[in-house]
Amino acid sequence: MAVDKNWREKELSLKEVINKYPDVSPFIIIKTDAQRRGVDYTEAALSRVDVNVHQTVTRSFAVERSDQVDHSPFSLLLRDGTSILTGRDMVEGYRDPLVVDVVDDKIMILDDGEPLEEVFYWEKPDFYDKFTSSGKPMWHIAWARPLRIDLNPNQYCQFWETPGHGCKYCAIAATYKKSDKEQFVDLQDIDETVHEALKQPGRFTSIFLTGGTILDGEQLLDAEVEQYIQILKRVGRNFNGKRFPSQLIGTAFNKQQLQRIYDETGLMSYTADIEVLNEELFDWICPGKAAKIGYQEWKDRLYQAVDVFGRGYVNTGLVAGVEMATPKGFQTEEESLGRILEEAEELAKHGVSAVACVWNVAPGSMFFKQRTPSLEYYVKLSKGLDALRRKYHIHIDMDNYRRCGNHPDTDLSRV
Amino acid sequence: MAVEISRELQEILNDPQSIKVLATTDPEGRPHVVFKGSLHVNEDGYLEYLEFIESSQTNKNMVHSIWFHKTVAINVKHEKQSFQIEAVPYRALIAGKEFEKRYNQVRREKGIDLSTVWLMEPLEIVEETFEKRRLEEEKAHPILKHLDLLVEQEKINEK
Repeated sequence: MAVDKNWREKELSLKEVINKYPDVSPFIIIKTDAQRRGVDYTEAALSRVDVNVHQTVTRSFAVERSDQVDHSPFSLLLRDGTSILTGRDMVEGYRDPLVVDVVDDKIMILDDGEPLEEVFYWEKPDFYDKFTSSGKPMWHIAWARPLRIDLNPNQYCQFWETPGHGCKYCAIAATYKKSDKEQFVDLQDIDETVHEALKQPGRFTSIFLTGGTILDGEQLLDAEVEQYIQILKRVGRNFNGKRFPSQLIGTAFNKQQLQRIYDETGLMSYTADIEVLNEELFDWICPGKAAKIGYQEWKDRLYQAVDVFGRGYVNTGLVAGVEMATPKGFQTEEESLGRILEEAEELAKHGVSAVACVWNVAPGSMFFKQRTPSLEYYVKLSKGLDALRRKYHIHIDMDNYRRCGNHPDTDLSRV
Repeated sequence: MAVEISRELQEILNDPQSIKVLATTDPEGRPHVVFKGSLHVNEDGYLEYLEFIESSQTNKNMVHSIWFHKTVAINVKHEKQSFQIEAVPYRALIAGKEFEKRYNQVRREKGIDLSTVWLMEPLEIVEETFEKRRLEEEKAHPILKHLDLLVEQEKINEK
Protein backbone atom coordinates (compact mmCIF):
# COMPACT_ATOMS: atom_id res chain seq x y z
CA MET A 1 0.00 0.00 0.00
CA ALA A 2 1.34 3.42 -0.91
CA VAL A 3 1.87 5.97 1.83
CA ASP A 4 -0.75 8.72 1.84
CA LYS A 5 1.29 11.94 1.73
CA ASN A 6 -1.43 13.82 3.59
CA TRP A 7 -2.04 11.33 6.39
CA ARG A 8 -0.62 13.67 9.05
CA GLU A 9 -3.36 16.19 8.32
CA LYS A 10 -6.05 13.63 9.12
CA GLU A 11 -5.17 12.72 12.72
CA LEU A 12 -3.34 14.02 15.78
CA SER A 13 0.42 13.76 15.57
CA LEU A 14 2.46 11.66 17.97
CA LYS A 15 3.56 14.76 19.87
CA GLU A 16 -0.02 16.05 20.04
CA VAL A 17 -1.22 12.74 21.47
CA ILE A 18 1.54 12.79 24.09
CA ASN A 19 0.50 16.30 25.09
CA LYS A 20 -3.21 15.43 25.12
CA TYR A 21 -2.69 12.46 27.45
CA PRO A 22 -0.24 13.69 30.12
CA ASP A 23 -1.20 10.77 32.39
CA VAL A 24 -0.09 8.17 29.84
CA SER A 25 3.57 7.27 29.58
CA PRO A 26 5.12 8.92 26.52
CA PHE A 27 7.30 5.81 26.22
CA ILE A 28 4.21 3.68 25.70
CA ILE A 29 2.70 6.14 23.24
CA ILE A 30 5.91 6.10 21.19
CA LYS A 31 5.97 2.31 21.31
CA THR A 32 2.34 2.14 20.20
CA ASP A 33 2.93 4.39 17.22
CA ALA A 34 6.10 2.51 16.24
CA GLN A 35 4.17 -0.75 16.27
CA ARG A 36 1.35 0.85 14.32
CA ARG A 37 3.52 2.51 11.68
CA GLY A 38 6.71 0.44 11.71
CA VAL A 39 10.22 1.84 11.81
CA ASP A 40 12.91 2.38 9.24
CA TYR A 41 16.65 2.72 9.83
CA THR A 42 19.08 5.25 8.44
CA GLU A 43 22.51 4.13 7.29
CA ALA A 44 23.97 5.72 10.42
CA ALA A 45 21.63 3.66 12.58
CA LEU A 46 22.44 0.48 10.69
CA SER A 47 26.16 1.16 11.14
CA ARG A 48 25.60 0.74 14.89
CA VAL A 49 24.40 -2.83 14.42
CA ASP A 50 26.93 -5.48 15.47
CA VAL A 51 25.77 -8.87 14.22
CA ASN A 52 27.91 -10.49 16.90
CA VAL A 53 25.92 -8.69 19.59
CA HIS A 54 22.52 -7.75 18.23
CA GLN A 55 19.57 -9.85 17.19
CA THR A 56 19.03 -9.56 13.45
CA VAL A 57 17.68 -12.97 12.49
CA THR A 58 14.53 -14.72 13.55
CA ARG A 59 12.35 -17.60 12.49
CA SER A 60 8.86 -17.53 13.87
CA PHE A 61 5.52 -18.65 12.53
CA ALA A 62 4.70 -15.06 11.55
CA VAL A 63 8.09 -13.57 10.65
CA GLU A 64 11.03 -14.99 8.75
CA ARG A 65 14.28 -13.03 8.71
CA SER A 66 17.43 -14.53 7.32
CA ASP A 67 20.84 -13.02 8.06
CA GLN A 68 21.76 -13.11 4.37
CA VAL A 69 19.16 -10.49 3.47
CA ASP A 70 19.10 -7.80 6.08
CA HIS A 71 21.21 -6.76 9.03
CA SER A 72 18.70 -4.35 10.51
CA PRO A 73 17.93 -4.88 14.20
CA PHE A 74 15.07 -7.22 14.90
CA SER A 75 13.51 -4.89 17.46
CA LEU A 76 14.10 -2.13 19.98
CA LEU A 77 14.20 -1.41 23.69
CA LEU A 78 13.45 1.96 25.25
CA ARG A 79 15.23 3.46 28.27
CA ASP A 80 12.51 2.26 30.65
CA GLY A 81 12.86 -1.36 29.49
CA THR A 82 9.82 -1.22 27.21
CA SER A 83 10.10 -3.41 24.14
CA ILE A 84 9.02 -2.22 20.73
CA LEU A 85 8.22 -5.17 18.53
CA THR A 86 8.46 -3.80 15.05
CA GLY A 87 10.75 -3.57 12.12
CA ARG A 88 11.15 -2.35 8.60
CA ASP A 89 9.52 -5.46 7.12
CA MET A 90 6.70 -6.04 9.60
CA VAL A 91 4.31 -3.23 8.73
CA GLU A 92 2.76 -2.12 5.48
CA GLY A 93 0.66 0.95 5.96
CA TYR A 94 -0.47 4.19 4.48
CA ARG A 95 1.44 6.21 7.08
CA ASP A 96 5.18 6.61 6.80
CA PRO A 97 7.20 4.84 9.47
CA LEU A 98 9.10 6.29 12.40
CA VAL A 99 12.81 6.54 11.76
CA VAL A 100 15.76 5.30 13.80
CA ASP A 101 18.84 7.47 13.37
CA VAL A 102 21.96 8.54 15.25
CA VAL A 103 21.63 11.94 16.93
CA ASP A 104 24.42 13.39 19.12
CA ASP A 105 26.06 9.96 19.15
CA LYS A 106 22.92 8.29 20.53
CA ILE A 107 20.59 5.97 18.64
CA MET A 108 17.26 7.76 18.64
CA ILE A 109 13.76 7.17 17.31
CA LEU A 110 12.38 10.13 15.36
CA ASP A 111 9.06 11.25 13.98
CA ASP A 112 8.98 13.71 11.12
CA GLY A 113 12.64 14.54 11.75
CA GLU A 114 12.21 15.24 15.46
CA PRO A 115 14.11 13.04 17.94
CA LEU A 116 11.73 11.44 20.45
CA GLU A 117 13.64 8.95 22.58
CA GLU A 118 16.85 6.98 22.82
CA VAL A 119 16.53 3.35 21.73
CA PHE A 120 18.67 0.25 22.12
CA TYR A 121 18.88 -2.76 19.84
CA TRP A 122 17.87 -6.14 21.21
CA GLU A 123 20.85 -8.33 22.02
CA LYS A 124 20.82 -11.85 20.70
CA PRO A 125 21.03 -14.75 23.13
CA ASP A 126 24.06 -17.02 23.17
CA PHE A 127 22.15 -19.97 21.74
CA TYR A 128 21.60 -18.14 18.44
CA ASP A 129 25.14 -19.07 17.39
CA LYS A 130 24.80 -22.74 18.33
CA PHE A 131 23.57 -25.76 16.37
CA THR A 132 21.46 -28.76 17.34
CA SER A 133 22.92 -32.26 17.12
CA SER A 134 20.92 -32.62 13.89
CA GLY A 135 22.89 -29.70 12.47
CA LYS A 136 20.21 -27.01 12.50
CA PRO A 137 20.92 -23.44 13.66
CA MET A 138 19.21 -23.08 17.01
CA TRP A 139 17.62 -19.78 15.93
CA HIS A 140 15.58 -21.89 13.49
CA ILE A 141 14.22 -23.80 16.49
CA ALA A 142 13.49 -21.03 18.98
CA TRP A 143 13.60 -17.27 18.89
CA ALA A 144 14.09 -14.78 21.64
CA ARG A 145 12.61 -11.68 23.11
CA PRO A 146 14.78 -9.82 25.59
CA LEU A 147 13.70 -12.10 28.47
CA ARG A 148 11.70 -14.86 26.82
CA ILE A 149 12.34 -18.07 24.87
CA ASP A 150 9.77 -18.36 22.10
CA LEU A 151 8.81 -21.70 20.60
CA ASN A 152 6.56 -21.97 17.55
CA PRO A 153 6.35 -25.74 17.02
CA ASN A 154 3.81 -25.54 14.20
CA GLN A 155 4.75 -22.97 11.58
CA TYR A 156 1.46 -23.31 9.71
CA CYS A 157 -2.22 -23.20 10.64
CA GLN A 158 -4.88 -25.71 9.63
CA PHE A 159 -7.55 -23.05 9.35
CA TRP A 160 -5.85 -22.03 6.11
CA GLU A 161 -6.45 -25.49 4.61
CA THR A 162 -10.14 -24.70 4.24
CA PRO A 163 -10.72 -21.92 1.70
CA GLY A 164 -11.95 -18.78 3.43
CA HIS A 165 -11.16 -19.97 6.97
CA GLY A 166 -7.88 -18.10 7.57
CA CYS A 167 -7.95 -15.09 9.89
CA LYS A 168 -7.98 -12.02 7.68
CA TYR A 169 -5.19 -10.05 9.42
CA CYS A 170 -2.84 -13.04 9.67
CA ALA A 171 0.29 -13.63 7.59
CA ILE A 172 1.12 -17.12 8.82
CA ALA A 173 0.18 -18.79 5.53
CA ALA A 174 2.09 -16.27 3.41
CA THR A 175 5.13 -16.48 5.68
CA TYR A 176 5.10 -20.27 5.57
CA LYS A 177 4.61 -20.60 1.84
CA LYS A 178 7.37 -18.22 0.84
CA SER A 179 9.97 -20.05 2.94
CA ASP A 180 11.40 -23.53 2.69
CA LYS A 181 11.01 -24.24 6.41
CA GLU A 182 9.48 -27.44 7.71
CA GLN A 183 5.97 -27.17 9.15
CA PHE A 184 6.77 -28.85 12.45
CA VAL A 185 9.80 -28.16 14.62
CA ASP A 186 11.45 -31.35 15.85
CA LEU A 187 10.95 -32.16 19.53
CA GLN A 188 14.55 -33.23 20.07
CA ASP A 189 15.76 -29.98 18.47
CA ILE A 190 13.48 -28.02 20.82
CA ASP A 191 14.76 -29.96 23.81
CA GLU A 192 18.40 -29.27 22.92
CA THR A 193 17.79 -25.59 22.11
CA VAL A 194 15.93 -24.80 25.33
CA HIS A 195 18.58 -26.66 27.32
CA GLU A 196 21.27 -24.56 25.64
CA ALA A 197 19.34 -21.31 26.17
CA LEU A 198 19.09 -21.99 29.89
CA LYS A 199 22.89 -22.00 30.14
CA GLN A 200 22.86 -18.20 29.91
CA PRO A 201 22.28 -16.92 33.46
CA GLY A 202 20.08 -13.86 33.75
CA ARG A 203 18.86 -13.95 30.19
CA PHE A 204 15.42 -15.56 30.33
CA THR A 205 12.45 -15.29 32.69
CA SER A 206 9.90 -17.38 30.81
CA ILE A 207 9.20 -19.93 28.12
CA PHE A 208 6.50 -19.25 25.61
CA LEU A 209 4.78 -21.53 23.16
CA THR A 210 2.44 -20.78 20.32
CA GLY A 211 1.85 -21.88 16.77
CA GLY A 212 -0.76 -22.54 14.19
CA THR A 213 -3.94 -24.40 15.03
CA ILE A 214 -4.06 -28.18 14.61
CA LEU A 215 -7.67 -29.29 14.37
CA ASP A 216 -7.02 -33.06 14.25
CA GLY A 217 -7.70 -35.59 16.96
CA GLU A 218 -10.40 -37.73 18.48
CA GLN A 219 -11.77 -34.54 19.95
CA LEU A 220 -11.24 -31.34 17.98
CA LEU A 221 -7.73 -29.96 18.76
CA ASP A 222 -6.49 -33.09 20.56
CA ALA A 223 -3.44 -33.18 18.26
CA GLU A 224 -2.53 -29.58 19.13
CA VAL A 225 -2.93 -30.31 22.82
CA GLU A 226 -0.76 -33.41 22.54
CA GLN A 227 1.94 -31.46 20.69
CA TYR A 228 2.18 -28.86 23.47
CA ILE A 229 2.09 -31.47 26.22
CA GLN A 230 5.01 -33.33 24.70
CA ILE A 231 7.07 -30.14 24.40
CA LEU A 232 6.22 -28.89 27.89
CA LYS A 233 7.11 -32.26 29.39
CA ARG A 234 10.51 -32.28 27.69
CA VAL A 235 11.23 -28.65 28.53
CA GLY A 236 10.06 -29.17 32.09
CA ARG A 237 12.79 -31.71 32.75
CA ASN A 238 15.23 -28.81 33.00
CA PHE A 239 13.63 -27.39 36.14
CA ASN A 240 13.42 -28.26 39.79
CA GLY A 241 9.80 -28.60 40.84
CA LYS A 242 6.83 -29.03 38.59
CA ARG A 243 5.78 -25.50 37.63
CA PHE A 244 7.99 -23.10 35.71
CA PRO A 245 7.25 -19.58 34.35
CA SER A 246 5.60 -20.25 31.03
CA GLN A 247 2.77 -19.23 28.75
CA LEU A 248 0.93 -21.11 26.05
CA ILE A 249 -1.12 -19.34 23.43
CA GLY A 250 -3.20 -22.10 21.96
CA THR A 251 -6.51 -22.48 20.26
CA ALA A 252 -9.44 -22.45 22.71
CA PHE A 253 -9.24 -25.90 24.27
CA ASN A 254 -12.12 -27.54 26.12
CA LYS A 255 -12.09 -28.03 29.89
CA GLN A 256 -10.89 -31.61 29.67
CA GLN A 257 -7.99 -30.63 27.42
CA LEU A 258 -7.06 -27.69 29.64
CA GLN A 259 -7.09 -29.86 32.73
CA ARG A 260 -4.90 -32.41 31.00
CA ILE A 261 -2.32 -29.75 30.09
CA TYR A 262 -2.31 -28.41 33.62
CA ASP A 263 -2.03 -31.84 35.23
CA GLU A 264 0.57 -33.32 32.92
CA THR A 265 2.91 -30.33 32.47
CA GLY A 266 4.47 -27.44 34.36
CA LEU A 267 2.61 -24.75 32.38
CA MET A 268 1.70 -21.75 34.52
CA SER A 269 -0.47 -19.61 32.25
CA TYR A 270 -2.77 -19.98 29.28
CA THR A 271 -3.98 -17.70 26.53
CA ALA A 272 -6.50 -18.29 23.76
CA ASP A 273 -6.66 -15.27 21.47
CA ILE A 274 -10.19 -14.24 20.64
CA GLU A 275 -8.68 -11.51 18.41
CA VAL A 276 -11.76 -9.28 18.12
CA LEU A 277 -14.33 -8.62 20.83
CA ASN A 278 -17.53 -8.68 18.85
CA GLU A 279 -19.35 -11.79 17.67
CA GLU A 280 -20.34 -10.57 14.20
CA LEU A 281 -16.87 -9.25 13.50
CA PHE A 282 -15.29 -12.42 14.91
CA ASP A 283 -17.38 -14.45 12.46
CA TRP A 284 -16.21 -12.23 9.58
CA ILE A 285 -12.54 -11.78 10.51
CA CYS A 286 -11.83 -15.20 12.04
CA PRO A 287 -14.12 -17.50 10.03
CA GLY A 288 -12.20 -20.67 10.85
CA LYS A 289 -12.37 -20.08 14.58
CA ALA A 290 -16.04 -19.15 14.24
CA ALA A 291 -16.90 -22.27 12.27
CA LYS A 292 -15.03 -24.75 14.44
CA ILE A 293 -15.52 -23.28 17.92
CA GLY A 294 -17.66 -20.15 17.83
CA TYR A 295 -17.48 -16.86 19.68
CA GLN A 296 -19.53 -17.72 22.76
CA GLU A 297 -17.87 -21.10 23.15
CA TRP A 298 -14.47 -19.41 22.86
CA LYS A 299 -15.38 -17.15 25.74
CA ASP A 300 -16.77 -20.02 27.79
CA ARG A 301 -13.54 -21.94 27.32
CA LEU A 302 -11.57 -18.95 28.58
CA TYR A 303 -13.76 -18.84 31.69
CA GLN A 304 -13.17 -22.58 32.20
CA ALA A 305 -9.43 -21.97 31.86
CA VAL A 306 -9.61 -19.62 34.86
CA ASP A 307 -10.97 -22.55 36.89
CA VAL A 308 -7.92 -24.58 35.85
CA PHE A 309 -5.03 -22.09 35.84
CA GLY A 310 -6.35 -19.50 38.28
CA ARG A 311 -7.22 -15.83 38.18
CA GLY A 312 -4.42 -13.75 36.69
CA TYR A 313 -3.09 -16.70 34.73
CA VAL A 314 -5.53 -16.65 31.80
CA ASN A 315 -5.88 -13.98 29.19
CA THR A 316 -6.91 -13.42 25.61
CA GLY A 317 -5.23 -11.40 22.89
CA LEU A 318 -6.82 -8.85 20.61
CA VAL A 319 -5.58 -7.72 17.23
CA ALA A 320 -6.59 -4.26 18.27
CA GLY A 321 -7.93 -2.18 15.44
CA VAL A 322 -9.26 -4.94 13.17
CA GLU A 323 -12.67 -4.20 14.63
CA MET A 324 -12.60 -1.10 12.42
CA ALA A 325 -11.67 -2.91 9.22
CA THR A 326 -13.89 -2.10 6.27
CA PRO A 327 -16.52 -2.77 5.21
CA LYS A 328 -18.01 -4.60 8.19
CA GLY A 329 -16.13 -3.04 11.09
CA PHE A 330 -17.31 -0.28 13.41
CA GLN A 331 -17.70 3.03 11.63
CA THR A 332 -16.38 5.36 14.33
CA GLU A 333 -13.57 5.05 16.86
CA GLU A 334 -15.89 6.14 19.64
CA GLU A 335 -18.40 3.38 18.94
CA SER A 336 -15.64 0.85 18.54
CA LEU A 337 -13.98 1.67 21.88
CA GLY A 338 -17.31 1.53 23.68
CA ARG A 339 -18.26 -1.85 22.27
CA ILE A 340 -14.83 -3.44 22.69
CA LEU A 341 -14.36 -2.29 26.27
CA GLU A 342 -17.88 -3.42 27.16
CA GLU A 343 -17.00 -6.94 26.02
CA ALA A 344 -13.59 -6.75 27.72
CA GLU A 345 -15.35 -5.91 30.97
CA GLU A 346 -17.48 -9.03 30.71
CA LEU A 347 -14.30 -11.06 30.33
CA ALA A 348 -12.72 -9.29 33.29
CA LYS A 349 -15.73 -10.09 35.46
CA HIS A 350 -14.91 -13.74 34.82
CA GLY A 351 -11.23 -13.24 35.65
CA VAL A 352 -10.01 -13.14 32.05
CA SER A 353 -7.77 -10.27 31.04
CA ALA A 354 -7.93 -8.89 27.50
CA VAL A 355 -4.57 -7.71 26.15
CA ALA A 356 -4.13 -5.81 22.92
CA CYS A 357 -1.59 -6.13 20.16
CA VAL A 358 -1.40 -3.10 17.91
CA TRP A 359 -2.71 -4.20 14.55
CA ASN A 360 -0.13 -3.58 11.90
CA VAL A 361 -1.17 -4.32 8.39
CA ALA A 362 0.93 -7.38 7.69
CA PRO A 363 2.23 -7.90 4.19
CA GLY A 364 0.69 -11.09 2.86
CA SER A 365 -2.48 -10.90 4.95
CA MET A 366 -5.96 -10.58 3.45
CA PHE A 367 -6.29 -7.22 5.17
CA PHE A 368 -3.15 -5.82 3.54
CA LYS A 369 -5.05 -2.87 2.04
CA GLN A 370 -6.76 -1.86 5.27
CA ARG A 371 -6.01 1.22 7.37
CA THR A 372 -5.36 0.98 11.07
CA PRO A 373 -7.06 3.39 13.52
CA SER A 374 -5.54 6.57 14.88
CA LEU A 375 -2.85 6.61 17.57
CA GLU A 376 -5.33 8.24 19.91
CA TYR A 377 -7.62 5.23 19.52
CA TYR A 378 -4.89 2.92 20.75
CA VAL A 379 -4.06 5.16 23.70
CA LYS A 380 -7.69 5.18 24.79
CA LEU A 381 -7.93 1.43 24.37
CA SER A 382 -4.77 0.82 26.41
CA LYS A 383 -6.07 3.04 29.18
CA GLY A 384 -9.40 1.24 29.12
CA LEU A 385 -7.95 -2.28 29.31
CA ASP A 386 -5.52 -1.28 32.07
CA ALA A 387 -8.37 0.32 34.02
CA LEU A 388 -10.45 -2.87 33.78
CA ARG A 389 -7.62 -4.95 35.22
CA ARG A 390 -7.31 -2.52 38.12
CA LYS A 391 -11.09 -2.46 38.66
CA TYR A 392 -11.34 -6.25 38.81
CA HIS A 393 -7.97 -6.78 40.55
CA ILE A 394 -6.46 -9.00 37.86
CA HIS A 395 -2.67 -8.89 37.81
CA ILE A 396 -0.89 -9.31 34.50
CA ASP A 397 2.44 -10.85 35.54
CA MET A 398 1.94 -13.55 32.89
CA ASP A 399 1.98 -11.09 30.00
CA ASN A 400 3.77 -8.01 31.27
CA TYR A 401 6.55 -5.94 29.73
CA ARG A 402 9.17 -8.52 30.70
CA ARG A 403 7.35 -11.46 29.14
CA CYS A 404 5.69 -10.54 25.87
CA GLY A 405 6.34 -6.83 25.54
CA ASN A 406 3.82 -6.59 22.74
CA HIS A 407 0.93 -5.05 24.66
CA PRO A 408 0.90 -1.30 25.41
CA ASP A 409 -1.95 -1.81 27.86
CA THR A 410 0.03 -4.23 30.02
CA ASP A 411 3.01 -1.85 29.93
CA LEU A 412 0.76 0.64 31.72
CA SER A 413 0.33 -1.85 34.56
CA ARG A 414 3.93 -1.30 35.69
CA VAL A 415 2.98 1.55 38.01
CA MET B 1 25.66 14.42 32.78
CA ALA B 2 24.06 17.52 34.31
CA VAL B 3 26.46 17.59 37.28
CA GLU B 4 29.67 15.72 38.00
CA ILE B 5 29.98 13.69 41.16
CA SER B 6 33.17 14.68 42.96
CA ARG B 7 35.85 12.10 43.66
CA GLU B 8 35.18 12.50 47.40
CA LEU B 9 31.47 11.80 47.00
CA GLN B 10 32.15 8.90 44.64
CA GLU B 11 34.28 7.30 47.31
CA ILE B 12 31.56 7.81 49.90
CA LEU B 13 28.86 6.42 47.59
CA ASN B 14 30.97 3.41 46.70
CA ASP B 15 31.86 2.63 50.33
CA PRO B 16 29.76 -0.33 51.54
CA GLN B 17 29.84 1.17 55.04
CA SER B 18 27.94 4.29 53.92
CA ILE B 19 24.21 4.49 54.57
CA LYS B 20 22.27 5.23 51.38
CA VAL B 21 18.63 6.21 51.22
CA LEU B 22 16.41 6.57 48.14
CA ALA B 23 13.19 8.60 48.25
CA THR B 24 10.63 8.30 45.47
CA THR B 25 7.00 9.30 44.98
CA ASP B 26 4.06 7.50 43.41
CA PRO B 27 1.72 9.08 40.82
CA GLU B 28 -0.33 10.69 43.63
CA GLY B 29 2.78 12.20 45.20
CA ARG B 30 2.92 9.85 48.19
CA PRO B 31 6.53 9.55 49.35
CA HIS B 32 8.33 6.25 49.80
CA VAL B 33 11.78 5.93 51.35
CA VAL B 34 14.06 2.90 51.41
CA PHE B 35 17.67 2.01 52.19
CA LYS B 36 19.58 0.95 49.08
CA GLY B 37 22.88 -0.56 50.02
CA SER B 38 23.68 -1.38 46.39
CA LEU B 39 23.63 2.28 45.37
CA HIS B 40 26.96 3.39 43.90
CA VAL B 41 28.51 5.39 41.08
CA ASN B 42 29.21 3.24 38.03
CA GLU B 43 32.09 3.62 35.60
CA ASP B 44 30.01 5.86 33.33
CA GLY B 45 29.23 8.29 36.15
CA TYR B 46 25.61 7.22 36.64
CA LEU B 47 24.16 6.50 40.04
CA GLU B 48 23.24 2.84 39.95
CA TYR B 49 21.23 0.61 42.26
CA LEU B 50 20.03 -2.95 42.01
CA GLU B 51 16.30 -3.63 42.30
CA PHE B 52 15.69 -7.15 43.51
CA ILE B 53 11.88 -7.01 43.80
CA GLU B 54 10.03 -6.39 40.56
CA SER B 55 6.72 -5.35 42.11
CA SER B 56 8.20 -3.20 44.90
CA GLN B 57 6.80 0.28 45.45
CA THR B 58 10.23 1.76 44.74
CA ASN B 59 10.40 -0.02 41.39
CA LYS B 60 6.92 1.22 40.46
CA ASN B 61 7.81 4.75 41.52
CA MET B 62 11.05 4.63 39.54
CA VAL B 63 9.07 3.63 36.43
CA HIS B 64 6.71 6.53 37.03
CA SER B 65 9.71 8.84 37.43
CA ILE B 66 11.41 7.77 34.21
CA TRP B 67 8.11 7.99 32.32
CA PHE B 68 7.32 11.53 33.42
CA HIS B 69 10.78 12.90 34.20
CA LYS B 70 10.05 13.17 37.93
CA THR B 71 13.06 13.44 40.18
CA VAL B 72 14.04 11.24 43.11
CA ALA B 73 16.15 12.09 46.15
CA ILE B 74 19.13 10.21 47.51
CA ASN B 75 20.88 10.77 50.79
CA VAL B 76 24.20 9.16 51.62
CA LYS B 77 25.76 9.32 55.10
CA HIS B 78 29.31 8.35 55.94
CA GLU B 79 30.53 8.94 59.49
CA LYS B 80 29.58 12.62 60.03
CA GLN B 81 29.38 13.53 56.36
CA SER B 82 26.08 13.59 54.50
CA PHE B 83 25.08 14.49 50.93
CA GLN B 84 21.72 14.87 49.25
CA ILE B 85 21.49 14.17 45.53
CA GLU B 86 18.52 15.02 43.36
CA ALA B 87 18.50 12.64 40.41
CA VAL B 88 16.34 11.50 37.53
CA PRO B 89 16.15 7.88 36.35
CA TYR B 90 17.99 7.46 33.06
CA ARG B 91 17.56 3.79 32.31
CA ALA B 92 16.00 0.57 33.59
CA LEU B 93 18.41 -2.14 32.49
CA ILE B 94 16.51 -5.44 32.38
CA ALA B 95 18.29 -7.47 29.70
CA GLY B 96 21.53 -7.78 27.78
CA LYS B 97 25.15 -8.44 28.67
CA GLU B 98 25.48 -5.47 31.03
CA PHE B 99 22.46 -6.66 32.99
CA GLU B 100 23.78 -10.23 33.01
CA LYS B 101 27.08 -9.04 34.45
CA ARG B 102 25.24 -7.54 37.44
CA TYR B 103 22.95 -10.57 37.65
CA ASN B 104 25.88 -12.96 37.90
CA GLN B 105 27.47 -10.80 40.59
CA VAL B 106 24.23 -10.84 42.60
CA ARG B 107 23.92 -14.60 42.21
CA ARG B 108 27.51 -15.05 43.46
CA GLU B 109 27.28 -12.64 46.37
CA LYS B 110 23.66 -12.92 47.52
CA GLY B 111 22.22 -15.98 45.76
CA ILE B 112 18.99 -14.16 44.85
CA ASP B 113 17.23 -12.94 41.69
CA LEU B 114 17.70 -9.51 40.14
CA SER B 115 14.87 -7.57 38.50
CA THR B 116 16.35 -4.30 37.28
CA VAL B 117 19.55 -2.29 37.26
CA TRP B 118 18.47 1.33 37.62
CA LEU B 119 20.75 4.06 36.30
CA MET B 120 20.15 7.61 37.48
CA GLU B 121 21.58 10.91 36.37
CA PRO B 122 22.46 13.36 39.16
CA LEU B 123 20.92 16.79 38.69
CA GLU B 124 21.95 18.57 41.89
CA ILE B 125 24.21 17.71 44.81
CA VAL B 126 24.03 19.42 48.19
CA GLU B 127 26.27 18.62 51.14
CA GLU B 128 24.06 18.08 54.18
CA THR B 129 26.81 17.40 56.72
CA PHE B 130 25.33 18.83 59.89
CA GLU B 131 28.24 20.96 61.07
CA LYS B 132 28.71 22.42 57.60
CA ARG B 133 25.02 23.21 57.27
CA ARG B 134 24.93 24.75 60.78
CA LEU B 135 27.74 27.12 59.95
CA GLU B 136 26.15 28.02 56.62
CA GLU B 137 22.89 28.75 58.39
CA GLU B 138 24.52 31.07 60.92
CA LYS B 139 26.25 32.96 58.16
CA ALA B 140 23.31 33.23 55.79
CA HIS B 141 20.52 33.76 58.36
CA PRO B 142 22.03 35.42 61.44
CA ILE B 143 18.62 36.61 62.57
CA LEU B 144 17.24 33.10 62.94
CA LYS B 145 18.33 32.06 66.42
CA HIS B 146 17.29 32.13 70.07
CA LEU B 147 18.32 35.28 71.89
CA ASP B 148 19.68 33.50 74.94
CA LEU B 149 22.38 32.03 72.74
CA LEU B 150 23.71 35.58 72.22
CA VAL B 151 23.98 36.73 75.82
CA GLU B 152 26.70 36.02 78.31
CA GLN B 153 25.09 33.63 80.77
CA GLU B 154 27.10 34.95 83.70
CA LYS B 155 25.76 38.48 83.20
CA ILE B 156 22.20 37.25 83.08
CA ASN B 157 22.62 35.20 86.19
CA GLU B 158 24.21 38.14 88.13
CA LYS B 159 21.01 40.15 87.94
